[in-house]
Amino acid sequence: MRDIVRMILVLTLIGAASGLTLSFVHRGTKERIEYQTIKFVKEPAVKKVLTGYDNDPILDRKKIGVGTDERGNPIELIIFPAKRQGQTFAVAIEGKGKGFGGLIGVMVGISKDGQLLDIGITSHSETPGVGSRVEEASFTDQFRGLSAKGALKADGISGATYSSKGVMSAVSQAIGYVANFREEIF
Amino acid sequence: MPIRDEFTKGFWEILPPFRLVLGLCPTLAVTTTGINGIGMGLATTFVLVFSNFFVSLLRRLIPRQVRIASFIVIIASFVVIVELVMKAYFYQLSEFLGIFIPLIVVNCIILGRAEAFASRNNPILSLADGLGIGLGFTISLFVLGSIRELLGSGTLLGFHVMWSSFEPFTFMLKPPGAFVALGILLGLMNLISQYQARKGG
Repeated sequence: MRDIVRMILVLTLIGAASGLTLSFVHRGTKERIEYQTIKFVKEPAVKKVLTGYDNDPILDRKKIGVGTDERGNPIELIIFPAKRQGQTFAVAIEGKGKGFGGLIGVMVGISKDGQLLDIGITSHSETPGVGSRVEEASFTDQFRGLSAKGALKADGISGATYSSKGVMSAVSQAIGYVANFREEIF
Repeated sequence: MPIRDEFTKGFWEILPPFRLVLGLCPTLAVTTTGINGIGMGLATTFVLVFSNFFVSLLRRLIPRQVRIASFIVIIASFVVIVELVMKAYFYQLSEFLGIFIPLIVVNCIILGRAEAFASRNNPILSLADGLGIGLGFTISLFVLGSIRELLGSGTLLGFHVMWSSFEPFTFMLKPPGAFVALGILLGLMNLISQYQARKGG
């Protein structure tokens, strides 16, 4: 009996100490990890979809709350503004859409007057060689210059309908954010 | 000097991947360049040193029946710390090493040292043991990685060192190349040991 109590006690203590330490480490590195992910994953896409700015969109990024998920946790949206002489004239926002193999993340550049500047795929798990072709310029270039107000029109990739639709819905989501949170974003 | 002996034994006598032939999964998988080898080796060393130290510190407290579970919790905590710190400061390296960082938890060198050494010796000796074995592991991975990098892409630590008409053996960068390089190194080490034994005897 004493043995069992001791075993439970020791394991509990070790587990608790480990959990406590890790929560501190997690808190200490969280911001830095977020920065690194933005730098290596988001920055190339942001640079692709925005042009003609004289600020640093990564440094000037801001977060706004855009509702809550099913567990009630707030969903935060990161906005990368492109400014010229201090005036925001366009933003890059990441939208997500369900593709064939999971969520597809798409960075969408939208100008203040409601035009799509360009899109760049940030993350996807589509089939290599089939669905992954949504990353190709021949597909993403179609979105350049489209209006962010009317219906989106782009030719899907044959054989990759779900992936194409996923990108479309990600773009629509980003457009939706701009429409619903225009005040906060610009 | 027992401390020095515990420290230096990891460099030759029980050099992990070549002598103990332990921890082969990261040894073979990530050593496509010298730098990757160093990164993986140092991450493992960090975990090994701290897990050895804490296991040794708690060795009288931990009941025998739950020792493996306790060791794994201790090891896993340090692995998560390494993973977070690497993501925060060496993002590209951590992206490349990927799944092999979390897999340090099940690296048998670490659990092996905890069980065979740290749980039977004092914290200072365990620190020396962990540091020695860890650095031995790092050097082994670096040597193996450098050989593969040199033959497979003609570079060393990222610098071009081979003559211009050198045609890289891309085979060396593929998994079978890792086995071939490891086998040759193992053979060489055995040759040296045999030679030493003959000279000594």
